Amino acid sequence: MSETAVAATPTFSFSTSRVFSKNLTWLLIYVVLLAAIAIVLFPVFWMVSSSLKPGPEMFARNMTMLPVHLTFENYVKVWTETKFATFFLNSFKVAGISTVLALIVAMYAAYAMARINFPGKNVFGMVLLVTQMFPHILFVIPLFMIIKTLHLFDTHYALIIAYVAYSLPFSIWMMKGFFEAIPLELEDAAAVDGATPLGTFHRIILPLSGPGIAAVTMYNFIRAWNEFLFALVFLQSSDLFTLPLGLASFQEEYSFRWDLLMAGASSISLPVLIVFLVMNRFIVQGLLGGAVKG
Amino acid sequence: MALTRRARFAYMLVLPSLLLLTMLNLFPLAQGTIASLQRQNMTRPNPYEFVGLAHYAEALFSEGSFWSSLLKTCIWTIGSVSGAYVLGLALALLLNLDIRGRNLFRALFLVPWVIPDVVTALVWKWLYNDEYGVINFLLRQLHVINSPVHWLSDLNLAMPSVILAQIWKLYPLMTVVLLAALQNVPKELHEAASLDGARPWQRFFYVTLPLIRTTSVSITLLTGIWTFQSFDLVYLLTGGGPADATQILPTFIYQKAFFTLDLGYASALGLLMLLIILAISSLYLFVSRPSRVQA
Repeated sequence: MSETAVAATPTFSFSTSRVFSKNLTWLLIYVVLLAAIAIVLFPVFWMVSSSLKPGPEMFARNMTMLPVHLTFENYVKVWTETKFATFFLNSFKVAGISTVLALIVAMYAAYAMARINFPGKNVFGMVLLVTQMFPHILFVIPLFMIIKTLHLFDTHYALIIAYVAYSLPFSIWMMKGFFEAIPLELEDAAAVDGATPLGTFHRIILPLSGPGIAAVTMYNFIRAWNEFLFALVFLQSSDLFTLPLGLASFQEEYSFRWDLLMAGASSISLPVLIVFLVMNRFIVQGLLGGAVKG
Repeated sequence: MALTRRARFAYMLVLPSLLLLTMLNLFPLAQGTIASLQRQNMTRPNPYEFVGLAHYAEALFSEGSFWSSLLKTCIWTIGSVSGAYVLGLALALLLNLDIRGRNLFRALFLVPWVIPDVVTALVWKWLYNDEYGVINFLLRQLHVINSPVHWLSDLNLAMPSVILAQIWKLYPLMTVVLLAALQNVPKELHEAASLDGARPWQRFFYVTLPLIRTTSVSITLLTGIWTFQSFDLVYLLTGGGPADATQILPTFIYQKAFFTLDLGYASALGLLMLLIILAISSLYLFVSRPSRVQA
């Protein structure tokens, strides 16, 4: 609104107060937004802040929001004096291997689902949807029996198998959506040039699905990295523990060492947070494309 | 029946997934069903004694814990999902205004969603800590309370406290999904409604809400199913206590299976839970069908 136009009208004072109140509304909106962010992120802030406080400050009568004497001592302790580094490697191994395996298996099925009309396609789609609803707590019992019979109890194989199985349905749904978005003409052209169907998939479709594959990889990796129940039931020796299980076991071992627990908690969250903030766009896209449409 | 080459190619592609899904989902389901009909007890001479539907009868008719657990699971699920929906929708409406830096705000609001469950549980346990917890500290500074509140060990407060932690975990997904739905609501509809003299709350209830109904139904269904079967937070925060005040079905089943070692009974409970989940989902899908036809 231009000022001269406002000045020319007789309702001058009324208009300025409207402009003023409009700006005030916007200011209010940003204040509310920032307040909401502050409240919602407070637990994360408190975790990091606590992890950087020396022990006595943590249990002081007068709490401070930020550490008075900033220290990395808790991190050093957690990483050198406990099995935390082992847990970290275990988690990396289990999450990495299961993510790659699930991706390889899922992408072929997803391509078939996206492009080919075959008898039984709808049934397969239903199976994928329904298996996603199965409660993990129901599966963990029979899987526990099966894994014991196969002598895989207390090994990483058990976890990798379980993580592959549980990330498959979602991965297939998500990648199906990404493949469908690639124009059909590209494949037709490749077929005319004499490429085999599998060759077309490998050389034309896959290179074009980078963002989709990145989203699925991210999603599965985070899920495996965070998983707790299967690890709790399938593992026994602390040398094999993954990070979530290891951290939960600290809770019993160091029940009053909240400084160490918070340093451990921050260490687990940091890699996931970094990956998330870098890949945020892909993850949101994947969530909206795969999870909700399906 | 002669299959086309294309269809045979498709089966080849789908086969590995199908095999894995059968081995790791359908086979365990069958195994669980069989186990639910047996009294599994390794100390007896006949460790796999067939007992028919005895476990189901016990759960449904004689042992009260199933029903009380189910009730607590419903309170936990409905409380968390409705809380997360209201918070998620409020934030989505805010983000849907013409603000700068929407993507940054959205990313920040999503942070709790990527935090591992175990970390969420530990952090909230630390926030709720009786003596050194920051929540009690702040409430004392504000003179709301005089003595520390036992958030997780008080019979009446334990459930609301775990629900609050779960809301914190769930709302981000709601925000992102509802924001996407809101951005698909045509601006012209709002303008037309304002021209017709609709007040902001009327526009919200008569224009916005009906248009995001399908999304709302599917996202509450999804998060509802997840919460109904979620185990980590409650197990780590309260372990089902105090005095079973937060003993939801997943923690109850876990206890039966891996502490009492009653795998048969636990399997029966798990299958009952699966049936409930399937019933709720089909009901929900049925209810949400007409609006999909309209859209």
